[in-house]
Parts: sequence; C-alpha cells; structure tokens
Amino acid sequence: MILAAALMMAQSAAAPATIARGETIFAQTCSVGYCHGAAGTAARGPRLRGRTFPREYLDRVVADGIPNSAMPGWKDRLKPDDMRAVVEYVVSLATATEAAPPANPMPPGVGPATLPNFNGPRLAERGHSAFFDATRDNCGICHAMGGRGNAIGPDLAKIAEKSPRDVVAAVGSVKAQHVLTATLADGETFPALQFAQNGGQIQLFDLTVIPPVLRTFNRAEVTSLRANPSWAHRDVAKIYTAAELGDIAVYLRWAATGK
Amino acid sequence: MKLLAGGFICAALALAQTGETRADWPHYGGQQSAWRYSALDQINRSNVSKLSAAWAFQTGKIDGGLQSTPIVVDGVMYLAAAWNRVFALDAVTGAPLWHYFYQNPREIGILYSPWNRGVAVDGGRVFMGTLDNHVVALDQKTGRELWNVTVENMQQCGCNITGAPLVVKDKVIVGVTGGDSAHRGYLTAFDAKTGRKVWRFWTIPGPGEKGHDTWLGDSWKAGGGSTWMTGSYDPELNLVYWGVGNAAADFYGEARKGSNLYTDSIIALDPETGTLKWYYQEIPHDVWDFDGAYECVLFDAPVKGTMRKLLLNVNKGGYAFVVDRTNGEFISAWPVAENITWIKGVNEKGELVGRNEPPVGKPTIICPSIGGGRQWNHGAYSPRTGWFYTTGIEWCQEVTVQKEEPKEGRNFFGGVFQLRPAQKGPSGGHMDAYDPVTGKKFWSYPSKYPLLASAVATAGDLIFTGDPEGNFFALDAKTGAKLWNFQTGSGNRGSPITYSVKGRQYVAVPSGWGSALAGLLPQLWPETEDFPPGSTLYVFALPEGTP
Repeated sequence: MILAAALMMAQSAAAPATIARGETIFAQTCSVGYCHGAAGTAARGPRLRGRTFPREYLDRVVADGIPNSAMPGWKDRLKPDDMRAVVEYVVSLATATEAAPPANPMPPGVGPATLPNFNGPRLAERGHSAFFDATRDNCGICHAMGGRGNAIGPDLAKIAEKSPRDVVAAVGSVKAQHVLTATLADGETFPALQFAQNGGQIQLFDLTVIPPVLRTFNRAEVTSLRANPSWAHRDVAKIYTAAELGDIAVYLRWAATGK
Repeated sequence: MKLLAGGFICAALALAQTGETRADWPHYGGQQSAWRYSALDQINRSNVSKLSAAWAFQTGKIDGGLQSTPIVVDGVMYLAAAWNRVFALDAVTGAPLWHYFYQNPREIGILYSPWNRGVAVDGGRVFMGTLDNHVVALDQKTGRELWNVTVENMQQCGCNITGAPLVVKDKVIVGVTGGDSAHRGYLTAFDAKTGRKVWRFWTIPGPGEKGHDTWLGDSWKAGGGSTWMTGSYDPELNLVYWGVGNAAADFYGEARKGSNLYTDSIIALDPETGTLKWYYQEIPHDVWDFDGAYECVLFDAPVKGTMRKLLLNVNKGGYAFVVDRTNGEFISAWPVAENITWIKGVNEKGELVGRNEPPVGKPTIICPSIGGGRQWNHGAYSPRTGWFYTTGIEWCQEVTVQKEEPKEGRNFFGGVFQLRPAQKGPSGGHMDAYDPVTGKKFWSYPSKYPLLASAVATAGDLIFTGDPEGNFFALDAKTGAKLWNFQTGSGNRGSPITYSVKGRQYVAVPSGWGSALAGLLPQLWPETEDFPPGSTLYVFALPEGTP
C-alpha cells in the first residue's frame, strides 16, 4: 500500500529539474512558430496547457509523431532523456492555469541538447555533406543512402569499397546496365529508367535533366523502349572536387559497411 | 479614318484591361496581374440581396480547412483541397467529374501543412505542388497523373509547396515554403509537358554572385527567403514578379548581419531563363518575420500626372509598397493597419525609419503580430473605382529573441512569441478601400476578428469576402455598406471567385476553418478555439429570372 502510493507519487511528480529542462526544450522546439504556442497555450498544434494526456500517449506521440499530420516524431532529433523531460513538462501543464503565462525568456545562448544531423564519424561527415549538398546537383537527388535521398539510380553500397578514383570509374561504368531510350508516339525520345508497369500504364523516370521526372504514360503512348548504351552519367568530376570525391568514398564505405 | 481610330482605341483598351476575368477564372489571381476582379455584372448592388445557394461541395477532409482559389475553365471547376486532393467539378451543378488524391508520405511533420492554396490549369494540364515538395501534372480531362518531380528533399530543406504554381508560356513556375526553416529559398521552373527542370533562381545569392555580401559568413545557406505564394506575370514586359519571404532565423539577426538580399523583396525575372531583371527590397535585414511574399498586383495609374506601370505588394509588416514594374523604382508606401510599431514609417525614398529591433533575451512588444498587419489572403483591385481593397489586422505580440544555430531541415525562428492585444483601438480586423498609389482610405468595414479570407471585386461594384465566424458577405465597392450575408458554417480562410456559364453568373467561396493562423487566434480570443473546422465550397447565383 505504502509502496504503491510511493510509486504513484514518483509517477506524478518528476524532479523539478527535469521539468525545467523539459520547459527549456519545449520553448525552443515545440513552442516555436505556429506549433504549440508559448508554454502550450494553443497555436496550429492543439493546446496542451490545462489538459490531461496519458503519459504513454505522450511518450508515443513525442517519439513517433502523428501520422498524416504536422506533428513530427522526435526520436531521431532529440535524445531519449530530452524527450522524457518534454513529456514530464507537458504532464506538468495539466494543472497549469489556462491564463496566458509570461512568455518564456531564454537566456541567450542556451539551447536544447539535440543530436547532430549526422551521427557518423567525423571522417565520413564531410562526404555525407557533399553527397547531399543542396546548393548543387548532388548525389542524393538520384541515389538513396542511409535512409536519405531518392532511390532512382543504383544502390551505391555496391561501390562502397572502391577508392575515389574507382568510384569515379564505377559511376561511368554503371551507365548502360539499366538505362533505356524511350520513344513516344509523338516522336519524343528520352533516356529512361523503368519504374513500374501496371494495367495499361507505364511509369518511366526521364533522365534528361536533374532531377529525373517520373512520367506516366498509357502503354500505347510509348512506341519503343530500347537499351541505351550511350547514355552517360553526369561527370561527377564537374560537380565535385577530387578531395570531395575522396570524402564521398569514405562516406559511402561507412554508410554501407559501418566502417 | 474615324473607324480606324475607334478600332485603335478599342485595342488599346483591351490591352489595358487584361487584368479582368470574364466567364472563366483562369488563374490563381483571376488573371496573372492578380487583380481578383471580374467584369461580370449580372450580380450587382441592386440585386445581390437575392443571391442564393446553387450548390455545395464537401471535400470530405476538414484537417487544414479549405484555403484555395478555385480555377474555372470552360464550365469546369478545378478545386484543390488540403492534403493535395484535387477535384474537377461541373461548375453549374457541382457534379464531380474526376478527383485526384496525391499519395503523401505517412509522416509530413512540417509546419507548412496540410493545406493547399490552389492549382494552375493550362494547355490540357493541371499543375499542383505537394506537401512533400513535389510538383505533379495531371491530365485536365481525366485527372490522370502525367508527371511527378521532386523539387528538393522535404526533410533536408524543411520546405514544401502550398502555393499555386504560375504557368508562363511553356513553363510551370513554382515557389516553396521554408522561410521559418534553416533553408535557402528559390523559385523553380519546369517544362509544362515533360516536368524537366528548366531553371532555378535562388532567392539568396551564392558565393560570387551579386548580393552575396549582404549575408554574414555562412548565414546565406540557411537564410530563408521563401517564395510561398504565387507570383504575377506581365506579358507585355515579359516579366515574372514574385514576392520573397522573410529572412531566417526570423527574429535573431546577429548571425546574418547585412541587408540579406533578396529576402522581403519583389523580384522581377525573365521567364525564359530565370535571370533577375530588377529587385526592390522592402525590408532590409528583417528581424520581425514580416514577409514580402504576398501577391504582386499589376496595374497602371497616374503618378504626379504621368501614367505609370505599377506593382503593389502588401507585406506582413502591414505596409503596401508600390513600385514601377518596369524597373523597380520606388513610388510610395502606405500602411494598412493602425498598430505598427516595428518602424516609425517609410520615407519618400522608401527607406524604413525608426526601426524597433527587439533585443536578445528581453521580451518586447511589437505590433503587428507575426500574423501580420495583413495575412496572405489577397486583396482585389477594381478598375471601375480605381481602388485597392484589402484587409488589415490590429494586434501585437510579445517576442523574445533567442540566439539559435541553424539545423538542417528544422524550424529556425530564433525566438518565441505570444499574441498581445492591440495598443491603439480594439484588436480585430477590417476590410478597407484605398487609393492604391497614395493610400488614401475611402471606407472601412470593421470586424471583431481578423479577416483572413481573400476578396474578389466585380463590375457589379461588389466586394465579396468572409470572416472567421463563417459569414460570407458582399460589400458595396463604393461605400463599404454590407449588402448581403450568408452563414457558411465554418470560418472563411480561402479565396472567393466569380465566373459564368451559359450567361449565368456564379460566386464561389471556400469555407473551412483550420490553419496556422486560426490556431493562434485563441491566444487573443479564447472562444475561437472552438470555432468549427470545415472544408466546403459554396456556390451562389441569382434565382433564374432575377432582373
């Protein structure tokens, strides 16, 4: 009986320091912009202040988000301890008055502890950045790696063991394996990768420019699909420096093998 | 000779009047000059009181409300709803012809969702940007998907598309959200037939480009500058105009010292190449999140006795900026709200005077709030009165600036805010009629709550708009008197239009509460938390035989 009461106490009253840390993280992560408002008052997201939610529900929603909604999962962005602190803070809001609280001034320079975007080794980090560098036509537009990017072109894990020079060579050699020339009834031709064929329709990635375009045709609109041995991958040496290609090779090896 | 002169005048008039719609509502802004004005006058001041519901269409999914501008071409309406759902409807009966539901990923997890503000229809295709930052083209007759292209990885840029595309000749030009994310904004043009990318204009210049030195260090890589609304096009000058949003981080500017081009600017681009022809920056170094991303209204009016080609853009700071659209020369700036404390004013050169920049860590009251002295919902320009009709909002906020480091794909506000009541007069909204060049106000229609719906003006001298309580109503364009009202059952946050089929004029309005701003309103008006969401399109017409 006493033990049960003590357990219940422990569940409903997290350490004030944890709640305070949750408040800090909440202010910079959940209050911002149009989301949950200062101290959970209300905004685009639902009001959290003065409401009671089951703790298991909060754990799940904070970690996994809510499908088909603006609520993202935070398990890849916040450390487990930080997610727990946020949940404790939200639980503590149940007894908060609905009156607008004072805005939550943060001392300058204090921010929540968050995971870095890339949590691999430093050696691979530069290659990862180059691979997905949004300021140019990057590898990730056509190739998926480590759960990012678009799986349109071949899986690059297969060339992960290669040296930078061999990576460049490999990029040149994969060209003829799958690329086709599509000819349409109206005379248009373009280099293509077949994506899907179902019912009377065919879906092709048009590789003419970056990014590839997924085009859908009625079968009769495509008059022929032939192997295209002359198609050439973009010259990666024109997009990346030799040093960057070296970094990318390191990143690929790490992403594919964990080494 | 006389006949010839008459013909010439007619042709000149026709050219000057390209801003008006007639039977169709072919583009997001009516025509691509963004007037939101129709030459239809069957429904007018004398008979609008008889306006009655003709049909309604339920989109079936209320999350995100209904914020779009329907497009009408040849008696068919193309309606975009939240979650990238597109419906083709018989514009006379409301009967569905086809629908297309885009398959979004299970987790969107992005601030700018799940609403959509419209499609573009041109050359047998319907174009839409998606919540996961793709652009799709559909067959106008069947709704079948023709092409689908990824603009940029959504998780990586923290950006997506909610605005309607702009079609110029054979290109589909699409903006992106992301102004409150660690993101570098851009406009992208795709070939309308194939979906192939033709050009991209980065709204923040890269290394070596002119204007790059207006950004400190690496801040350009995450400096915002989103293009989340729809631009305009002048076929005679062959220029595309687009409003560019705020700099990021929204409130914390120390890390991006400089004027931060081309955020909060109007940009004029060559539609063939995406080359910048001129720009005009309304708010150098924005630290208030006062986007210049809203519509660019293209109209001609005399300035000091000389007829000029002008462009009007209202920004979130509550100022209308008017520039010469041939070269970007500043003409005038005037306020659309009373509660403005972020600046003291704008001088005759267009420079901001008396900037009130909130310091780091100290809660500061700034008016208007982040919701703006006006929201994105568009104004209307009537060539009959020569006036511009726009809403204004009275409210303030307490903002606390926080130092923040950019994190790829994440929100990047650099502060928190909380709405506060207006300091001057009551909080709330109003719809007003202005001289678009001088800002002289002719009338004002007050509203208890901020008005968050667009307006449409007609040759019947009517202004149609709606309010958060669900009222859709008609005002006298000359006096602001309310002439007709219909309770649609859910707050109005979209853009009404008017069109005609077989000689009968219709007025259509999206009704459907639920948006980022709708979510903020309870901070000032607690009762609005329980305002019902919805997603219904209502269409009205005069009973047959009405004089």
